[in-house]
Amino acid sequence: MSARAEITVTVNGIAYTRAVDPRLLLSDFLRQEIGLTGTHVGCEHGVCGACTILLDGRSARSCLLLAVQLDGAAIETVESLGAMDRLGRVQEAFRAHHALQCGFCTPGFLMTITDMLRHHPLESDAEIREALSGNVCRCTGYEHIVNAVRELARERGPLK
Amino acid sequence: MKPARFDYVRAETVAHAGEILAAAGGDGKVLAGGQSLMPMINFRLVKPTVLVDINHIAGLDTIALDGGRLRLGALVRHRMTAEDGLVKAHVPVLHHAMKHVAHLTVRNRGTFCGSVCHADPAAEMPMMTLLLDGLMHTASSRGTRAVAARDFFVGSLVTALEPHEMVTAIEIDALPPGAGWGFEEFARRHGDYALASVAVVLERQGGHARNVRVATMGVGEMPARMDTVEAALEGSAMDDRALDGAVDLLRAAVAPNSDLNASADYRRHLVGALARRALADAWSRATETAQ
Amino acid sequence: MTDAPRTADASVELRPKLVGQRIRRTEDPRLLTGSGRYVDDIALPGMLHVAVRRSDQPHARILSIDVGDAFAIPGVVAIFDARDIAGDIRPAIPTSRMDGYYATPIRPLAQDKVRYTGEPVVAVVAESRYAAEDALDQIAIAYEPLPFAIRQVDAVEPGAPLLHEEAGSNVIIARQFQRGDVDAAIAAAPVTVRRRFRMTRKTPVPMENRSYLADWDKRKRALTLHTSSNIPGIVRDVLADCLDLPGNRLRVVAPDVGGSFGGKGSLNHEEMLVCVLAKKLERPVKFTADRMEDLTAMSQAFDELIDAELAVDAEGRLIGLRADVIGDIGAYSVYPWTGALEPVQVVSFLPGPYRMQHYRGRVRGVLTPKPPTGPYRGVGRPSSTFAMERLIDMAARKLGLDPAEMRRRNLVTAEEFPYRTGSGIIWDKSAFQECLEGACADYPALVKARDAARAEGRWVGIGLASYAELTGIGSRIAVAPGMPINTGTETAAIRIDATGAVTAAFGISSHGQGLETTLAQIVADELGCRFEDVEILHGDSALVPMGTGTYASRSAVLGGGAATKSARVVKTKVLKAAAHLMDVPMEELEAGNGLIRARSSNATMTFKEVARAVYSQMGRIPYDQREDLVAEETYDPYLGTACASTHLAMVEVDRDTFGVTVTHFVVAEDCGRIINPLIVEGQVHGAVAQGIGAALLEEVVHDETGQLLTASLADYLVPVATNMPDIGIVHIEADLPNNLGGFRGMGEGGTIGAPAAIANAISDALSPLGIEIDTLPATPERLFRLVEAAQAGMAQDKPAG
Ligand SMILES: Cc1cc2nc3c(=O)[nH]c(=O)nc-3n(C[C@H](O)[C@H](O)[C@H](O)COP(=O)(O)OP(=O)(O)OC[C@H]3O[C@@H](n4cnc5c(N)ncnc54)[C@H](O)[C@@H]3O)c2cc1C
Ligand code: FES
Ligand code: FES
Repeated sequence: MSARAEITVTVNGIAYTRAVDPRLLLSDFLRQEIGLTGTHVGCEHGVCGACTILLDGRSARSCLLLAVQLDGAAIETVESLGAMDRLGRVQEAFRAHHALQCGFCTPGFLMTITDMLRHHPLESDAEIREALSGNVCRCTGYEHIVNAVRELARERGPLK
Repeated sequence: MKPARFDYVRAETVAHAGEILAAAGGDGKVLAGGQSLMPMINFRLVKPTVLVDINHIAGLDTIALDGGRLRLGALVRHRMTAEDGLVKAHVPVLHHAMKHVAHLTVRNRGTFCGSVCHADPAAEMPMMTLLLDGLMHTASSRGTRAVAARDFFVGSLVTALEPHEMVTAIEIDALPPGAGWGFEEFARRHGDYALASVAVVLERQGGHARNVRVATMGVGEMPARMDTVEAALEGSAMDDRALDGAVDLLRAAVAPNSDLNASADYRRHLVGALARRALADAWSRATETAQ
Repeated sequence: MTDAPRTADASVELRPKLVGQRIRRTEDPRLLTGSGRYVDDIALPGMLHVAVRRSDQPHARILSIDVGDAFAIPGVVAIFDARDIAGDIRPAIPTSRMDGYYATPIRPLAQDKVRYTGEPVVAVVAESRYAAEDALDQIAIAYEPLPFAIRQVDAVEPGAPLLHEEAGSNVIIARQFQRGDVDAAIAAAPVTVRRRFRMTRKTPVPMENRSYLADWDKRKRALTLHTSSNIPGIVRDVLADCLDLPGNRLRVVAPDVGGSFGGKGSLNHEEMLVCVLAKKLERPVKFTADRMEDLTAMSQAFDELIDAELAVDAEGRLIGLRADVIGDIGAYSVYPWTGALEPVQVVSFLPGPYRMQHYRGRVRGVLTPKPPTGPYRGVGRPSSTFAMERLIDMAARKLGLDPAEMRRRNLVTAEEFPYRTGSGIIWDKSAFQECLEGACADYPALVKARDAARAEGRWVGIGLASYAELTGIGSRIAVAPGMPINTGTETAAIRIDATGAVTAAFGISSHGQGLETTLAQIVADELGCRFEDVEILHGDSALVPMGTGTYASRSAVLGGGAATKSARVVKTKVLKAAAHLMDVPMEELEAGNGLIRARSSNATMTFKEVARAVYSQMGRIPYDQREDLVAEETYDPYLGTACASTHLAMVEVDRDTFGVTVTHFVVAEDCGRIINPLIVEGQVHGAVAQGIGAALLEEVVHDETGQLLTASLADYLVPVATNMPDIGIVHIEADLPNNLGGFRGMGEGGTIGAPAAIANAISDALSPLGIEIDTLPATPERLFRLVEAAQAGMAQDKPAG
């Protein structure tokens, strides 16, 4: 029963082939199987958003996905957004606006915001706050995060 | 919090899913968006022996208009429902309700049909299905059937679905042109399950309300249609007296629970207040149509 | 002795270049790229995982533990209960010199009895957390249920079932502060107001759950504990005793920590547990709590009943206050703070920033079968401020006086400092009145807007809350009375190495406060080196001989003071060496941005060149004048400094749903010299969010059977982005406090003022109905009940004298 299944998942452009227990959560697969610990786990019940990644270009909770489901899928994690000496644009904005404190929620916010900027109009602060409301940050009180997103949304220009 | 062991099968077709579910003899579970099932599995509140992943079955991810009814396939995600042009044009009340469903990331995965199958008493989609006289199309190794919304919801998190069945699509009414609608909901935080919600659709003919439909959620074991309220408002002028009477009837008709978030008394108050707003909105949105 | 007070600008020749600027944080690049290293990110070869079976009983005797087929599960390595480890570790005892106090022993696993739902009973060690949890399902524990009193009002009664028989009572803490004759003052006063206030139980909810990894090095017989703690030094000191290991063979490291807010600021059962297990099994052992475990068993907060009565004269001047407080401290006293931390601070701070002669505050801390309460952002003061600020508004309403004017008349004024409160706290000079005026800059306009809304029948209200706190407290005042630890000093070890790089090591432990940035700003300014050449080390017990960590808004004041002191010593050494090398008198030299410059000749040397000469180029400095460029100085501000603030909130209560929307929020505060405004603003926002959570959303609920009803983040509601208004911040630039650097602490304030301000605003909004908020959070359910009662004409006016 529950034999391991071989899967190939592309994470940040690299294909990983692994034999996984069907019950292995994607969050644990990323953190423990392939060593990408930037994706954090804050609740494992879908509420906090710390584990947010992109699945085929759209944000998803990695604690609510099984690795075995993702054979053939493309995952993007925070590690894809930039490097320490070459931050990506969303990361830059977070730094400039001091939108992070302890940094634990941050990867989840960055991935959610990446989805927001790609796909959502974000025309007002209310819309920005609503789009952010599935991610919990206990440190910042959100204002600096909203400021960062507002700036990013403005410079992005209208959605296609 | 890690899941207990289970097997996993990626279903290739509806028939394949039916076979696996039948073989599991009642201990199998359909995995759609996983946005309700996975938390329960992580908490070990649900321990299926096999998960049947329907996410790769072709053809289930469409919304289509078909003879005055809208058909949503089993892989229609909340985001698609929220953004879909047909839904917006033909069922604006559903388009609006989707704004209250969870958050951007959950909407990317969660499915309309999955929510209805999950049958949370405070979830929007079961209520909307009931409001819009939905029909669940199911399939299993024994064949297909269609279950009306009024027969589908049996209790909190309980439906008339057999363990070996899956829902392939849900059909709901498209609203006639000019129909009015109202939707009100109150949750403690944006995107949370509601403490209560009311949805209304109606038509306006000769200054009177026709085909009034009122549904509630969060105020009982399952979503409910307010038959007495609908009957009382049918043909009414939707004036203050009619609305006050309707609110009283509605408050009498619901049997809310007390729980962590709210007492039965508060919920009864709340649902009445929301109903007043929703009914008024529906009436003001309705345009006069011929008999 | 105390450090000679200096004005903040003592080093006039070197104007601060970095302190005061919005410097981007040094921490950010790693945290933004997923390169942070939190405990759960660390994987060691051979590492095992622990899952804990917890009590499902509030109070019961453990009769038997049956592990069933647990060992048949692949990957299960070992299973332990209290009996298996009793000889391996001594309990930690949170001692205190308080009269009549009983220190409950803290053990890794429950021994004989369980005392709250969620208490660890059995530990399973396995190759993966999945396997360990499989084994938990197999274990059966037989309990004999024991009687208990779940509510504090019942648990204080003399006949109540005892949680710790050895204590002889559930009341393990009883204190009283008093001045004057409050009973006579109240009896004679023209106006009195009284109410029983309840601040319900909260839980800190840092986003990172607790995580501990112990690594036993059998070669050296040494243990390293990686812990998500904000007090690694304290944990090292106590575990050294419990495990009988000297400090040089026990290292406690807090790497990146995902927030604490106090929840990671006490010794935890599981922290002790992994150490014992790693030593026994001679393999690295990790425990990472899941969210349910943290909501169930992390130290919780507040939970007081405050029965308080305030007397004022006809002009609204405060005469006296008496209060009786019952603090529900849960099942254990925490280490090192003890269960007294929270409730005793309530009665210490209750008189607030006001001039008032008569006071009596009594407090009892009572044991109940719930998780222990420990520190949580604001400690004591969110509750005391809530009660006092409500009383002020109630009195103002009775007198028909504007709440702002009421405060203006009573806040201690500039010429009255230092002011001693009725509980004995001494307020150092701080901008009490100025903060009130700062917060009220738009007050008249807001009042107009409120009145207009009210005329339309809307429930809109404005609330103020003024408070003061002690921050950066030195050795004279203990954070909690009679504790076994010293929280009043901080050490900085600064060294310039042979490459000219500067390393500054501290006993503090940053977990979101950005101290790697702010302390580097201070060091660079004081030393004259370049910001980017400074490396700040913290969160490691091996760095300095004694360090207690980061809590109670202490790190900027104490860490900053220690940094300043040490940097000045190192700088003198650098300049001395440079004077010799450049052949100019030392007084001629100044340092800045990594360069040492002679004023007369404009000749320069870099720090790197000086370091080379000192360490590597023997002969350039005579051997008897050569000094390593290092210093390790300890700073003790001795007393503390006051930090004042006023919050203003405007809210609207929905007449149908009773939902509360915060439409406007202003914080005016005097936080001394600001090291980095970006970081200060972030701290204020975050603290206000937690205050708004406490006021409107957050409540830990145990039912009558002792079970926790709020065990998920869908049930314990913390604020999300849509709950928060934009926050206006007014920095009041008053006189700098009399400590090294002129810093005041400011990490907690928002959590202190916001609940009171919102409670006052809601009361104002509902004032047409005569409603006074006395319980937080003000949920729709509670507001519904209050309005129902008021409308039914049944609003019982509480005894109001
Ligand atoms: C943080 C958070 C907030 C949320 N807030 C809301 C909210 O405000 N309102 C709301 O309505 N929902 C909310 N949800 C739930 C969300 O809408 C879920 O997506 C939805 O309830 C379930 O859909 P799913 O596709 O994810 O189903 P799954 O989780 O995959 O399945 C749910 C159940 O339905 C069964 N099932 C699913 N699809 C089928 C099928 N086609 N045939 C037969 N059985 C099936 C499964 O076996 C399972 O028992 C929230 C979820 C989260 C995590
Ligand atoms: S860890 Fe996935 S949502 Fe919290
Ligand atoms: S930065 Fe700490 S939780 Fe968001």
